[in-house]
Amino acid sequence: MTQRPVVLSVRGLSVRFRMPGGRVVAAVTDAHFDVAAGECLALIGESGCGKSVLASALLGLLPANAQTAGEARLGDLDLLTADERTLARTVRGRRIGLVPQSPAAHLTPVRTVRAQLAETVAALTGVRGRDALDTATRAAAARAAFPEDHLDRHPHELSGGLAQRAATALALVGDASLLVADEPTTGLDRDLVDRTVEELRRHVDAPDGTGAPGRALLMITHDLEAAERIADRIAVMYAGRIVELTDADTFFGSPGPRHPYSRGLLQALPDRAFTPIPGMPPELGALPDGCAFAARCAWATDACGAVPELTAAAACATAPVTTGGGLPTAAEALRTGAAPPPAAAVACHHPHMPEDIRA
Amino acid sequence: MAEAAIERTWRSHGTRRRSTRTLRVRTSGALVALTVLAVLLVPPIVQLDQQAVDLAAKLQPPSWEHPFGTDDVGRDLLLRCVYGLRVSLLVGVAAALTATIVGTAVGALAGALGGWADRAVMRLVDTFSSVPHLLLGIFVVAMFRPGVWPVVVSVALTHWLSTARIVRAEVLSLRARPYIDAAVSGGASRWRVTVRHLLPAVAPQAALAAVLMVPHAMWHESALSFLGLGLPAHTASLGTLIQSARGSLLAGQWWPTLFPGLFIIIPTLALAGLAGAWRERINPRRRSELML
Amino acid sequence: MLELRAITAGYDRRTPVVRDVSLTVEPGEAVGLLGPSGCGKSTLARVAALLHRPDSGTLLLDGAPVRHWRHRAPREVRTAFGVVFQQPRLSADPRLRLDDLIAEPLRATGRREEAPDRVAELAATVGLTPDLLGRRPHEVSDGQLQRACLARALVLRPRLLVCDEMTSMLDASTAAALVAVVEDYRRSTGAGLLAVGHDRTLLRRWCDRTVHWDDIARAGGPNPRV
Repeated sequence: MTQRPVVLSVRGLSVRFRMPGGRVVAAVTDAHFDVAAGECLALIGESGCGKSVLASALLGLLPANAQTAGEARLGDLDLLTADERTLARTVRGRRIGLVPQSPAAHLTPVRTVRAQLAETVAALTGVRGRDALDTATRAAAARAAFPEDHLDRHPHELSGGLAQRAATALALVGDASLLVADEPTTGLDRDLVDRTVEELRRHVDAPDGTGAPGRALLMITHDLEAAERIADRIAVMYAGRIVELTDADTFFGSPGPRHPYSRGLLQALPDRAFTPIPGMPPELGALPDGCAFAARCAWATDACGAVPELTAAAACATAPVTTGGGLPTAAEALRTGAAPPPAAAVACHHPHMPEDIRA
Repeated sequence: MAEAAIERTWRSHGTRRRSTRTLRVRTSGALVALTVLAVLLVPPIVQLDQQAVDLAAKLQPPSWEHPFGTDDVGRDLLLRCVYGLRVSLLVGVAAALTATIVGTAVGALAGALGGWADRAVMRLVDTFSSVPHLLLGIFVVAMFRPGVWPVVVSVALTHWLSTARIVRAEVLSLRARPYIDAAVSGGASRWRVTVRHLLPAVAPQAALAAVLMVPHAMWHESALSFLGLGLPAHTASLGTLIQSARGSLLAGQWWPTLFPGLFIIIPTLALAGLAGAWRERINPRRRSELML
Repeated sequence: MLELRAITAGYDRRTPVVRDVSLTVEPGEAVGLLGPSGCGKSTLARVAALLHRPDSGTLLLDGAPVRHWRHRAPREVRTAFGVVFQQPRLSADPRLRLDDLIAEPLRATGRREEAPDRVAELAATVGLTPDLLGRRPHEVSDGQLQRACLARALVLRPRLLVCDEMTSMLDASTAAALVAVVEDYRRSTGAGLLAVGHDRTLLRRWCDRTVHWDDIARAGGPNPRV
């Protein structure tokens, strides 16, 4: 695989909310990851773990009581420091396309799909003239496989799948290099999930069918099956932190994930053990000291009293290959600007070791 | 954790919109407070007779002695305006309260019962609405001797309709929510569902409608009084003040109409401003923004 | 035992979303009903829980036909069903704290004095901590709220549970936890279950028997729009 250009690079992104009474809610803490062109990174985690807040931060859609730290670079632009005017005029729709959670609610109920698409095409691409606009609108619909004979319908006349395609068509109009999909499959049935995911994948692979590097997709989801079908890499989020970052094949395949939480999530699937992780995640407003998962972790040790850093998977504290002196953690390396984030990393003091390495 | 917190520099986002909101709320709040204080405190403190006729000083323009000038029989207009505001506000609040209670009861009943009861009630509402408000108001007032209460009844009778519509629509949309299904399945009676789940949910909307209705009712009262049908001419309300001054306006004396007019406009705008801010607050979309 | 015979139901008599559907849940049986979204299976679930009056057809509860729905149904018949819906946010009264939410059916049926014990017991069962019980719905996550909604459905000890897409908004771990709670309850009480959903893997794992919507609905029903 050739090295693809990085589209979005997130370094130390943190978001916190100041609540009435001086309370602070740490919704996202110290997130590091890259998304490259032609790649899909699935950010998985349960509701309330901070993953939607992360998406809102990238789009500049945080409420007024939020504060951010770190950076999120889209090309030469830091999304976290850009002003609202820049975000509204040059970023949303043009450089980042949002595939929303509930497409039916995302579309304007009183206007037809054609009218909304045409308006977006006119605003984002500068196509003028009735005929040209009409052609461009139909082309935009075709890109998302939205049937042309349904263009004159209103959103409530569309099924869930078609509404999703209409919303995707809108997201694709600006030819953005980064797509952010926030729970695009929630509430859809399995067939529709598969179709939605396949279509999103198609837009990632080759936006114009030209074999160009394609778009980058950051998909936020709690649906592990959808993530398995679409993602190249998986980022697992727990209590506001990314606790594991790994290849999708490794994650769902034979070695499996290394963080105990990721393993627990997989084991909860109905086609696996179907056993829940005991307990509930901690409150983002009252995180424990140390590893946030320790209270639910069967392997927790005294070491878990300290927050584990996101460490490159090969350089794990308990791994037998450690060569003394300790390797710099991924986060340290990033702070000093030494290296890009590793393709695979885990934030745990006692990550699961694949059997073949242990033996 | 601690060392990481030190090196992080936090940036805030999107605070500008909030500050203009705060300014609007504070200005409106201050004006409303001022109005309420004026009508409550001025009469007992100053102990002046608003009816004191001084024919020697009739139709004087604003001066230090009479900041708002005097009317055609030499009564101090500032004092008359404050008393007028007092009456207008009383009528407005009483009418709005009555209309809201009636409207909420009727709307909730129609929405909660549904079926033919709903249809019958809403046809009644439509019938009432089809008559122009002022005409209906005039009709009611004409049946009684002029006074405060006929005006309250007249205004309430024409204004409960919109509240009933709002409440009914709200109840109908809430009734389809799964949580009502869950309550029914949990054995709740129709009465309990209405009182415990539906009414508390519409209460903020109804209260908001009530606040927004106060200015409306004040205008309505003024209109009736201006037509000479509302309050008797000797009772100073903002409407009667303007009505009795309209002759002098033609003669170039602007102050007897301007100041009562301002006294209608400013408190009503302030009330509407407060109500608008409140509506933003109870709008559930704002709350969901803060959800993780 | 619950028997639905030739049920036709919908929101507009001319175009019913459920047409001539029959389904039986034997005592203590767990039946999974699979179907694509928008096919009418949620409407059928509401009919089964006596929350929506069908246009035609018969519903038999333990052999006795049910003639009244919603408020008209006798309270002891209504409360024989426990229902859990897909979206916890819409299924919880936003003004009630979680402990009041769970206790509400007890209060509505005049068994107020049982509430403190029963709420504490159920909170432990579904895994809600005491500090969460004092919060309102907007202060907890979807998963925590759905736990409370399940506790509410169990509070009157129903003989039949109707779960309409109970887990589709939830992460895998919370879904597995809630299914485990339902199964524990059924094991100790022998209650029946009608679980409606679109996740084949989940329903096959969870239920004794899984039926597909297409197999119980008369052909020529409303074709789901593409």
